[in-house]
Amino acid sequence: MSGTLHSSTTVGVEGRQATAPMKESCEHQAECLKRIQSILDGGATEEEKEHFKQHIDICKPCIDMYHLEKCIKEALQGKVEKKCCPDKIAAAIRSEITK
Amino acid sequence: MTTMPEIMSDTQLQGYTDEQKYQVFNKEFMPHIDSMYNFAFRLTMDEDDANDLVQDTYLKAFRFISSFEQGTNAKAWLFRILKNSFINDYRKKSKEPAKVDYQDVETTYNSDEASETEHTTDLRFETVQDMIGDEVASALNSLPVDFRTVIILCDIEGFTYEEMAKILDIPIGTVRSRLHRARNLLKDKLKEYAASMGYNKNDD
Repeated sequence: MSGTLHSSTTVGVEGRQATAPMKESCEHQAECLKRIQSILDGGATEEEKEHFKQHIDICKPCIDMYHLEKCIKEALQGKVEKKCCPDKIAAAIRSEITK
Repeated sequence: MTTMPEIMSDTQLQGYTDEQKYQVFNKEFMPHIDSMYNFAFRLTMDEDDANDLVQDTYLKAFRFISSFEQGTNAKAWLFRILKNSFINDYRKKSKEPAKVDYQDVETTYNSDEASETEHTTDLRFETVQDMIGDEVASALNSLPVDFRTVIILCDIEGFTYEEMAKILDIPIGTVRSRLHRARNLLKDKLKEYAASMGYNKNDD
């Protein structure tokens, strides 16, 4: 689900040529940040997706925010160690329920 | 105790035989044990507490297995029980400042647009890319538990907003705003960390 969304937005951010002049400042940053997070989380509404497509190529602060949010999310997913359950705990659970 | 209030109350009790109970338990519950342990560890930040919490949660899940409808979202169901056990049984004795007043923290980080805008500026994505897992983990661990929780559920476990709303018993709108605030806090911590380590200099 987020895979397809993800690849299309990446093209939008990195691939397409912007036709309008690039905005150097963004007056809706807090709103835009929320929208960007919804997009990256795969939880955006159609309206949010549409707005994102229309604006992401022309606003430098939003592009920067997009990259930062994406990078933090990837770091949390990929770099933070995932602790595994010790075998003895799984064994204790199995033996407890068959008592 | 004959009912379990924390389990979704709109499900009908399933009439499993003993054999079916073990089958559901082994096929639908046990495969999530590593994710459950990781969640327990990130909540309690202590291996012994995580062991106890996971064990308690699975035993509770077995005791109330009739409330679980086979083929539905077992992972979210289990996470919900774990989260409630944590709040009811572990939070009290944990070493965190007793029950962080997160209403207060939420207010602080949601006060006005200006303060939200500040958060979006000078942490650079290259800085985050350069960090190792332990550094990101310590920034995450330093957040108050309610904020840590939404980031774990969303970014580490990949739950949807809707699933998170069910696990945490809060509306989707609150999930989104709490996540937003949690991420602002996390960026502050990453920025502090980067500054203390001498990252993030503007010299490239």
